[in-house]
Amino acid sequence: MGFTSHDDLLTKITVDGQTDYVFANKALSAAQVAGTWTLMAGHAGTPPAATFAGADLTYVPTDDTWGEGALYHGGDVDPATKHMLNMGGMMVAAAGAPWLIMPIDLVGYVPLSGANVTSTGTKTVSMTAIGSGSGTGDRYPNGAGLRLFVACDTVMGANAPTCIINYLDTGGGAGATTTFTSTASLPVGALLNTGAAANKYNPFLPLAAGDTGVSDIVSLVWAGTAHASGTVIIGLCAPLGPAIPVPATGLYNKYDFASAAPSYPRIRDGANIQFLVFQTGATTSGGTFMADITYAYGGS
Amino acid sequence: MGFVNTAEYAQAAANGQTWVTQFRKLVASATTTTNAWVDYTYSGGSPSANFYASAPLEAAEVETARGIYVPSVAPANQYLKNLMVMTAASSATSTAEGRQELILCDYLLYYPFIDTDAVGEEQTLTNSVVIPRYSGGFVVAVAQSAGSAIGTFTFTYTNQDGTPGRVSPANRTFAVAGGGQIVGSGGAGASYYPFLDLQAGDTGVKSIESVTMSVAGGGLMALVIVRPLLTAHVQQECRRTTSSNLESYGAASEFSSLIHHQPPRIIDGAVLGILGCGFSGSLASSTLVGIIETIWN
Repeated sequence: MGFTSHDDLLTKITVDGQTDYVFANKALSAAQVAGTWTLMAGHAGTPPAATFAGADLTYVPTDDTWGEGALYHGGDVDPATKHMLNMGGMMVAAAGAPWLIMPIDLVGYVPLSGANVTSTGTKTVSMTAIGSGSGTGDRYPNGAGLRLFVACDTVMGANAPTCIINYLDTGGGAGATTTFTSTASLPVGALLNTGAAANKYNPFLPLAAGDTGVSDIVSLVWAGTAHASGTVIIGLCAPLGPAIPVPATGLYNKYDFASAAPSYPRIRDGANIQFLVFQTGATTSGGTFMADITYAYGGS
Repeated sequence: MGFVNTAEYAQAAANGQTWVTQFRKLVASATTTTNAWVDYTYSGGSPSANFYASAPLEAAEVETARGIYVPSVAPANQYLKNLMVMTAASSATSTAEGRQELILCDYLLYYPFIDTDAVGEEQTLTNSVVIPRYSGGFVVAVAQSAGSAIGTFTFTYTNQDGTPGRVSPANRTFAVAGGGQIVGSGGAGASYYPFLDLQAGDTGVKSIESVTMSVAGGGLMALVIVRPLLTAHVQQECRRTTSSNLESYGAASEFSSLIHHQPPRIIDGAVLGILGCGFSGSLASSTLVGIIETIWN
């Protein structure tokens, strides 16, 4: 697993060539709202814009071969393990600073559209629980460390219902997130559970006390006055590393994980690397985002 | 419980025993005093504003929802893993928001709507709830309105050991333009500090029994008992000029447990908030943005 020493890491990089680099860039297709987080997957760039296809209320697992747009990071390396050595990020936009860029592994999603968004009540999800296996579909055994969010797939209509997600925890026990209040008219990519108001949770939904992950999404419950239109996804993800701060437009910031504690965040085989971005102000449409990750793998 | 080595610390992250919360607090438009402190929980944003709005002169716990969210993890113990902060300038040309001293606190108990004009009258405080999580904390005087003058007051309290009848030295308020600004000061009212003076030998306050103004301060204040967890700072405000040669400015400050400091413990139920002191000018209309990461075992 990983590297036994910095000498070993240096050998893996310079002798064995067990290192590479991934790069992503996106251009925002719509202005984003101050104080919210944005899932960048739905915006054009590298990888291309995802549309989050799939049958309503049916969980879609994703990995590094996801046809809608995943970053290739060298394929599976088992029994070795892959780790981030550093990560950089930058935003360029006329307004919106400062920003935060957080890398995530998007393990899967549940699409909701039509009446599943425009009516209140319980929307039951079809999903096979994440098991304890070692395949890339179960890359976080029993969902350990996984977090939930709800993101716009297409622009939301009027009204701001409340929302709660029921799930099973890592032990298979029933749990429910804290209730959040959505926001009307959010743009593509915006996380409904985030914002600068009461009953918002940035960027992930709080789990029930004591829970450390999510193995199964059971249902989503809308209450109040439903959104007039729009489509959303329930996102299931693992945070991959710390958020990169971007103090001002055009300033590139880089994390060196050699001096972090604990160091070298792991990129699991099959990881679908995506990015969340927080904007303090309203980021202008057309604003561009870029991020890069250098990784290496070692161990046997 | 806790961590016996860094391997456990790393494994806890792999097990999902971590949480990340992002916050954004927008200071109100009333001018704040250079070198004086503000209570960021009073500002709007995420989490929502904490106005200390409950029955006057009665002790109350600060609502959980007013704090930066962290989970409850019993029987494990939770610690601060990382704090990262940036400040957004109030305008493209403002340089007033840089160089802030910050104190991350667990907000415990407060006594709202103390009249700083009630000279000579002992304002008796009601203690129907007890301090949570700790045996005592430091006292912060937070303005709940504008204040017009340098006032003087003492307060009686029960100290960290449970000894009642303790009497503070004379503390002072000063003129502030609006609520959420910390009005505690020393000397002639021009030396600003976040925590009020206590009777000699005391290290904390469990409850406050009364407040007596000897000189009017011209406003309302809440006395808030907090537990400081970590001292941090922000450097340069984030901004982008809009004329001539366009230039970008800004900085992020990161405070990582194990590397920069020992990991402060965060007790279940903690209401996390931040006190800030702006050395460069008024913090009015500026934004404090950051991330708190916790880890438990």
